[in-house]
Amino acid sequence: MTRWIEKVTGSLEDKRRWRAYNTRKAALPVGYRTAIDGIERYLMRSAAIVKGDVLVQMLEDLIELVEASAADGTPIRDVVGDDPVEFADAFAANYRDSHWIDRERTRLAAAMDEAVQQQGANGEGGAGDER
Amino acid sequence: MGKQMTEMLKGTLEGIILALLAVRPAYGYEITARLREEGFSDIAEGTVYALLVRVEQRGLVDVDKVPSEKGPPRKVYSLNAAGRAQLDEFWKTWSFLASRITQLHEHVEQQGERA
Repeated sequence: MTRWIEKVTGSLEDKRRWRAYNTRKAALPVGYRTAIDGIERYLMRSAAIVKGDVLVQMLEDLIELVEASAADGTPIRDVVGDDPVEFADAFAANYRDSHWIDRERTRLAAAMDEAVQQQGANGEGGAGDER
Repeated sequence: MGKQMTEMLKGTLEGIILALLAVRPAYGYEITARLREEGFSDIAEGTVYALLVRVEQRGLVDVDKVPSEKGPPRKVYSLNAAGRAQLDEFWKTWSFLASRITQLHEHVEQQGERA
């Protein structure tokens, strides 16, 4: 159960995970740290995530990749590719909050159903009459 | 890698990864290495990782966490029943699409020759 204080301050668990992420980030070799800072900045601005737990999950998945790459000595260029936007967008797509857009998609489909029905109600070849 | 190649791969890379996992379970970096062996040379390791996160979220793979000597525990991905069904679907769709495009290509070339 959510404690009342968390409703005011946001989830304490999310905050704990966020701090742990930053500690792990600080321990990275410098080049990898620069890379993850750049990716994090882009993700924060492009992914528009509102839910705290989704956000920290994304960052935890990200640092797992970067830590493993640092430990294996995988060159940063091999990790992010020639076009880092390509990689960052593919990665961000996994966490994008889809609730509002799902609602809008349902509305779009319903509006088109209605439009098709209205056209049908005009009688056969309704579209042709006005041409 | 050309822009067109990147765009076309976007819709197929997930299926390709499932196909590789159908052979045997693998770590993320092994998938990237096998892709290189198969001639998909310019795919970033991060992009492969992003797709592995996705198939995990969608429940198409089972994940085992194995402790590592260096760095964080590593995930071993293996295809499960839902993943196998998805892969079957991928191959069916791919065969359909490939045959249609080949057919179209032939028709268009024949018409070009006659003109």
